[in-house]
Amino acid sequence: MKPEVGTVLALTAQKIASGFGEHGAAFAQGTIGLLATVLAVSAKEYERGADIRVSENNEMRALFEVLAETVTDPALRQELRDAGATRDASLRISALNENNYALRRLLTRLQIYAEEHGVNDVQRRIWAVLKAMAQRRLVQLGP
Amino acid sequence: MSELATRLATYLRAKLGAPDLTVANLARIPGGASRETYRFRARYVADGKALDRGLILRRDPPSSLIETERTTEYRAYEAFHRLGLPVPQPIALELGGEALERPFFIMAEVENCTTGGIMSPDPYGQHRESVGRQFFTVLGKIAAAEPKEIGLGDFNGAKDVRATAMHEVARWERVISEDEREPQPIVHAALRWLKRNPPPPAQKMCVVHGDYRTGNFLVDDAGKIRAILDWEMSHLGDPLEDLGWAIDPLWAGADPARPGGMIPRADAIRIWEEASGLKADPKALHWWEIFASLKGAAIWISAALEYADGRNIDPINAFSGWYCLSFHNKVLADRLAAEIGA
Repeated sequence: MKPEVGTVLALTAQKIASGFGEHGAAFAQGTIGLLATVLAVSAKEYERGADIRVSENNEMRALFEVLAETVTDPALRQELRDAGATRDASLRISALNENNYALRRLLTRLQIYAEEHGVNDVQRRIWAVLKAMAQRRLVQLGP
Repeated sequence: MSELATRLATYLRAKLGAPDLTVANLARIPGGASRETYRFRARYVADGKALDRGLILRRDPPSSLIETERTTEYRAYEAFHRLGLPVPQPIALELGGEALERPFFIMAEVENCTTGGIMSPDPYGQHRESVGRQFFTVLGKIAAAEPKEIGLGDFNGAKDVRATAMHEVARWERVISEDEREPQPIVHAALRWLKRNPPPPAQKMCVVHGDYRTGNFLVDDAGKIRAILDWEMSHLGDPLEDLGWAIDPLWAGADPARPGGMIPRADAIRIWEEASGLKADPKALHWWEIFASLKGAAIWISAALEYADGRNIDPINAFSGWYCLSFHNKVLADRLAAEIGA
């Protein structure tokens, strides 16, 4: 998720340190309110960030393992098999992101393949995963 | 701030021919990531009469979220103010950096009004029905206006009713391509769907506001819409583009059945049709609604990049990259999955 939590915390600190009182009370109040919201979301993302990425990565791998056998393109089929067999070796966000991005790119290639070949069942299974990913990443405000 | 006030006063003395003009109460208004917005009082004597005018300064920031033409925004204000729609009176436009370091324009302040926040559970309270009727009526009137007749026939955008949809898709695909820093499978699936399923040609060419939504207009205490703001993304295009954007779920707040937190969807569309004299074909509107969420995603991707690169660390950009993008990804995923029965 861009920007990453670390970036947001660093830039929030920079924003606070630079001050914003020179623009008047209303601007300062509005900015403080937004900073508070961003910090509250940061806290949630800090807690769930690794879990989201591990879950997404595993869901995409499981999908690739199953769907590889339905793909007639031999190169894509092998890539799906290989990606399905990978694992997350580190729980650092940066490492999880690296794997996540590679898996997402492959998911898009698989989806394009399914669209071009009119394989609706494959498309439905991909969309089920994409819907779950979108739901999981949805940022909830409030407690 | 005092230096800005001094330079502003110097500029306005010359511009308005008021050597005694003073600038007071200059204060920045929060929000508006694409322009710095300030309110101030200009006090001077004109024709022997002492004036105390509330004015708004919109200045280009060092870095802009979406590259927009301040000339475009200013001309839209001029045209629709002249037409009698609720739009602030434009006062001055400067494209150079001599006066205030960066390009800017000045318009009249519409006082004693508020904007409805998209996070507010009920942004217009007891006036929501009335505000909703006005909101979609004004949008219909914008769609009904003939661009050439109001002096905006040369605006940016598509040149032909058959090209409006793909012109906009190409525009926002460029933004996504330039600013995407992590793979966005849902966004790219949306782009492909939009290209595979083009809508019918536009019923007419119109001026599209480009960001017509809750939060971009001013309402007074009596529930009267006094000003439509933020015309910076205005362009020529399909009238349904603005309608699709205005009814996008992101602006609906707590009640998705009421676009913009105002009136039921069917009422909104009917009122727009009556005011515009156009039809909101359900299939075409469906396409423009999916486009609206795609366009939103493109804007939030751009905001996230501006922020992460340190070019504009306004926290609204971090919020947009997180909350708004995740919201539109969810909307797109649900809608596109439904297309294939998933």
